[in-house]
Amino acid sequence: MNPADDDMPGQEGGDDLLAAEYVLGALPADERAAAARRIEADPAFARLVDAWEARLSPMASGYGEAEPPASVKQALDRRLFGAAERTSKRGAVWNSLFFWRGLATAAIAALLLVIAILAMAPPIAQITGDRLVASLSAEGSDVHYFVVYDPRTAQIGLSHVSGARGAGRDFELWVIEGKQPPASLGVIPAGSNVRLRVADALRRKIESGAVFAISLEPAGGSPTGQPTGPVVATGDLKTI
Amino acid sequence: MLAAMTPQDITKLILRVALKDRAAFDALYRQTSAKLFGVCLRVLADRTEAEEALQEVYVKVWTRADRFAASELSPISWLVAVARNHAIDRLRTRRPNRASFEEALELADPAPDPETLAVSGGEMASVERCLGELEADRAAAVRGAYVGGDSYAELAARFGVPLNTMRTWLRRSLIRLRECLER
Repeated sequence: MNPADDDMPGQEGGDDLLAAEYVLGALPADERAAAARRIEADPAFARLVDAWEARLSPMASGYGEAEPPASVKQALDRRLFGAAERTSKRGAVWNSLFFWRGLATAAIAALLLVIAILAMAPPIAQITGDRLVASLSAEGSDVHYFVVYDPRTAQIGLSHVSGARGAGRDFELWVIEGKQPPASLGVIPAGSNVRLRVADALRRKIESGAVFAISLEPAGGSPTGQPTGPVVATGDLKTI
Repeated sequence: MLAAMTPQDITKLILRVALKDRAAFDALYRQTSAKLFGVCLRVLADRTEAEEALQEVYVKVWTRADRFAASELSPISWLVAVARNHAIDRLRTRRPNRASFEEALELADPAPDPETLAVSGGEMASVERCLGELEADRAAAVRGAYVGGDSYAELAARFGVPLNTMRTWLRRSLIRLRECLER
C-alpha cells in the first residue's frame, strides 16, 4: 500500500480506480451515469471496466437462483417481438436459413474456391461505423469462431465456440477482399475470447465488406504470407 | 438447470443470439433467467421491480449480445454483469421505498449453489483469499456493495463512518484487491 494515498484525493488512481468503483457499484447515480457514458464512448475505459468485471466476478457466486414467473418471458416476448409475434415462426426459419446458408455453402476446402465464389458475390456493407459480425465455420470442420469487428477501435474480438488447433499448429485469420489474395490478420491467440488489432492498411478491406477465413497453419503462422494449410472456417461480415 | 450446460454451451447460445436467432434466445432465457432473476431480486429487494428489471436485462442481452465477443468475461459472468449493472442502475435512480436489508436477505438470499455458477474454483479461491487480506469490515463493505448493490451512503450509515471515509475505504480496498490478485 502506498502511503501517498492515505489522503486519497478524488482523482487518485484515475481511470482504473473509477472503473473499479463503477464495477463495485457503489457510485452515486450521477457519477455512475457518467461512467456508463464513458464506457460507450471510450474503448480504453471500457476495457478497464471489463478487467474489473472479470476480477470481481467470482463474488457473483453469492447470488442464489430464483425462478421468475412465466409472465416475465411472455411480457419480454411481446416487448421484443410484439408485432412480429404471429409471423415469428417464419421469422425464425428465415433467420436460421440466413444463418445456416453460410455454413451450407461453405463446403470449402481451399481458399482458391473461396476466392472463386467471392468473385461472384455482391458487394456487402457500406461503411457505417457500426460493428460488423461474422460467424466463421465450414462444413466438414468443427472449427467455429464468432467474430466482431469494431471500427472505432480497429479491433477484432474472436470468441472461440469449438474446434481445436492441435499440437504445434495455429489458426490464422485472413481477410479476403474481392479477387485479391488473402491478407493475414495474424495468428489467433489461444483462448475463448481473444482480440486482434487490425493494421491501418487492412481496416479499409474489412470495412468495405470482406470475407474472413481461418486456416490451419504451422505454429507461429504461415511461413509464406499466404495460407498454406486447410481452410477450416469462413464467413462474411454483416452489419448489425 | 444451469449445471446441464457448460460455459461453452452458453457461449454458443449468446453468439447465436447476437445473430438474432430467436430459438437460441429462448434457450438462453431458459438456462440463465433463474440466475439473473436471483441477481435482480437480491439487488432490488422487490419482486415486481425485479421482474421488470429482468425483462429489461434480456432486452439488453438481445440487442447487445455481440458485445460479448469483445469481452474477456466468461459467458455467465458477462450475463451476471449485464443484470447486476442494470439492477444497480435502477436502484440508484429510485431509492425511497427500498425494502429493509433484512427483508432483502430473506427474499433473495438462498444459499449460493456452487454447482450452478460457471466460475472456476481457482478464481473463487483467489478473490476469497484477497478479500481475506482486508480488514473484516472493509471486506464486508466490498461484498455489500458488489453483491447487494449498497451505495457509499448506505454503507457509511451501516458502518457508522462518514461518507468520504467509506469511499476511501472502498477505493483503497479495490487497490489492494488488484495488487493481491496480480500477485
